[in-house]
Amino acid sequence: MAEGQLPPEELRKLKPDKVVDARGVACPGPLLAAKQAITEVPVGGVLEVLSSDPGTKRDLPLWAKKTGHVFLGVIEERGYWRLFVKRMK
Amino acid sequence: MRTCTVSSQEAQAKEGGEAQQKKKKMAVVVFSGSLDRLTGVAMLVSGAVAMEYNVELYLMLWAVHAFKKENVGKITHLSEFKEFEPEMAKRLNWYDLIKRAKKLGSVKIYACAGSAAVWNVIPEDLELVDGIIGVGEIVERLAEADVALFV
Repeated sequence: MAEGQLPPEELRKLKPDKVVDARGVACPGPLLAAKQAITEVPVGGVLEVLSSDPGTKRDLPLWAKKTGHVFLGVIEERGYWRLFVKRMK
Repeated sequence: MRTCTVSSQEAQAKEGGEAQQKKKKMAVVVFSGSLDRLTGVAMLVSGAVAMEYNVELYLMLWAVHAFKKENVGKITHLSEFKEFEPEMAKRLNWYDLIKRAKKLGSVKIYACAGSAAVWNVIPEDLELVDGIIGVGEIVERLAEADVALFV
């Protein structure tokens, strides 16, 4: 787990301000969905992205770092991932 | 296990903020007009927009032909593995991907003047195209880009 990230048991307790379901959408769809959805989350709030695309769990932390948000971590479910980003500005 | 402290979050955000101050640029010369190659371009453009790059496309010969209003939705041929054409024509949609990326970020599309002359087109004859520029300017813009590609 990288610095700044939370373990799955902590992530499960989060109450996201918005959940975007990008399951079934191929790369780079989930990333664009996150880019769109983060604008609907208040600063300091949490966005949850659901993705079945294996590229997302590498791309989303890179995207968060690049855009000045914080990637909180990932929970692996059956056939998809739940990824959490905190909006910082 | 590390906890998600405020200080590490702020540090990450600051770093990201600095990266965002000057956006990087991806410049792509799009020469090809086949469904598979245009889809490759569309994927790269989408990824670049998501990662906050400014994107510029310079269309040449076959790409100018493909961006013509009458052709844009009808490109079905592949550059390789032509036996997959019917299936890929159903599954790939390069045009919608580029259109969406253009809505979400900074994507400028220019046709090369020489190629526009070959097809006798003006920007209004082409979909999503912002203007026509000469190849000298294209080379200058490529030289300034952080990522420069030819497809």
